[in-house]
Amino acid sequence: MSTPQLVEHFFRHEYGRLVATLCRRVGVQHIEVVEDAVQSALMAALQSWTVVGLPDNPSAWLFRVAHNDVVGELRQRARRRSILEQYATEDIGTPENGPELFLAREVQDDLLRMLFVCCDEAIPEQSQLELALKTLCGFDIREIALRLFTSEANVYKRLGRARSRLRELPPRTDGLTGEQISSRLPTVRKILYLVFTEGYLSSHAETVIRRELCNEAIRLAAILAEHPIGQAPETFALLALMHLHAARMTARQHGSGGLLLLEEQDRDLWDRQQIQVGLVWLARSAQGDVFSRYHAEAGIAAEHCLAPSFHETRWDKVVECYSLLERIAPSAIHRLNRAVAVAEWQGPAAGLAVLDGFEPPTWLAGSYMWAAVLADLHRRCGNAHTANGYRTLACKAAPTPAVKELLQRRLQIGNAD
Amino acid sequence: MPNYLCMQRSLPGGGSEKPSPAQMQEMYAKFGAWREKFKENLVDMGGKLGAGRLVTTAPATDGPFVEVKELVGGYMIVSAESLEEAIRVARECPGLVRPGSGVEVIEIHTP
Repeated sequence: MSTPQLVEHFFRHEYGRLVATLCRRVGVQHIEVVEDAVQSALMAALQSWTVVGLPDNPSAWLFRVAHNDVVGELRQRARRRSILEQYATEDIGTPENGPELFLAREVQDDLLRMLFVCCDEAIPEQSQLELALKTLCGFDIREIALRLFTSEANVYKRLGRARSRLRELPPRTDGLTGEQISSRLPTVRKILYLVFTEGYLSSHAETVIRRELCNEAIRLAAILAEHPIGQAPETFALLALMHLHAARMTARQHGSGGLLLLEEQDRDLWDRQQIQVGLVWLARSAQGDVFSRYHAEAGIAAEHCLAPSFHETRWDKVVECYSLLERIAPSAIHRLNRAVAVAEWQGPAAGLAVLDGFEPPTWLAGSYMWAAVLADLHRRCGNAHTANGYRTLACKAAPTPAVKELLQRRLQIGNAD
Repeated sequence: MPNYLCMQRSLPGGGSEKPSPAQMQEMYAKFGAWREKFKENLVDMGGKLGAGRLVTTAPATDGPFVEVKELVGGYMIVSAESLEEAIRVARECPGLVRPGSGVEVIEIHTP
């Protein structure tokens, strides 16, 4: 008998689903017991399925094993502490025969609920992010550290902080109130945005790993956008911007892994279907009079996706979106981006004028991006000496060899414009 | 072809690191490929071994007893032309030969 195939990411996604569902059933303050039980159930599945083959319903099999484990463990603890049968829910049978317990809708509810639990106001942002990656995406500590370019010890510490907050929650706080849900919704979007940008913008990790993070963000954002509690123009705009960026991801690198400038990219490699999906969500996001930073960012991404070539890009529209973005979410990086767009629209001198008298914050002034943009604009204005100085700075601050290689290519003095 | 008994043994120095869900998926796929590759050799996939006891002429109340589970994690039976071939099948089994785990391969002589 051969071993039947499992769908891609089956184990990771089952992990997220089981943690979410079991946390709802027994209370999120038992998250550690739940996570241990889910881990053991997946191991048991690995050992059993590889020998005897897949059960009829692998998800139901896993649920029963993990659920029985959680209930058993909590009963034992309750006995030890003689706190009584509060958690001893119904026995739901052996792994081989038991009722079907969940519907797709319920699973989506549980995943979303867990996402809102992760976004507890008392948990710091970075911990919220890591808790979501751990519980909903099924990454382990080592994998999270690799993806967020931080140490395992840091991830461990931050997850511990998040879990101890969840432990403090009063028992059986099953329903988040409507008020909590609406007040946490912006945080939920922000966390999904962070998961996406960690994947999309990271200059450190490999492409496969980065794409995986983007796909996780899209998966969860889609669940949010299709659920009544998440249906809002900002959510649609967020999902639109994810699709519109993800559509261009493959084209950002050439065959040997080096980075490509937007103008060098082969636009035939852009994923047309993904662009279409993004545009549909963008259209839906236009209902109502809300205009969020996600709208502005999705608008910019859409302009790039729709432009037949780099030179035919509607740079005036891009500039407009960056101006709006600066107003909604003031950040020096948006100003820098606007300068780049203005330079394409009205020439390098106009681009430099945007930055005239602008004092960048230290984090930006020390980054390769700031130096690279100034080097490029000065080079194109013919200020070879100034350009050269910024070029040296940019190459020195480049975080990876790929970025450095790109800068050297782009910023060469005498490079014809 | 003779059959060989393969017994997994726990060895000192094994990492207690648990595989992540993504790694489990990988192991599942590798295991499938291994079973496909050696399907002619795999006579009995066996299973995990639980608690056991060494029975001797000594009175049952006397210890110490050898708890089988401390030594052996699981077993399977493969058929092969030679001990070397049986070892090759066992060695390629995902997760069997690694730090903290080894396999004992013993020929079974049937009369």
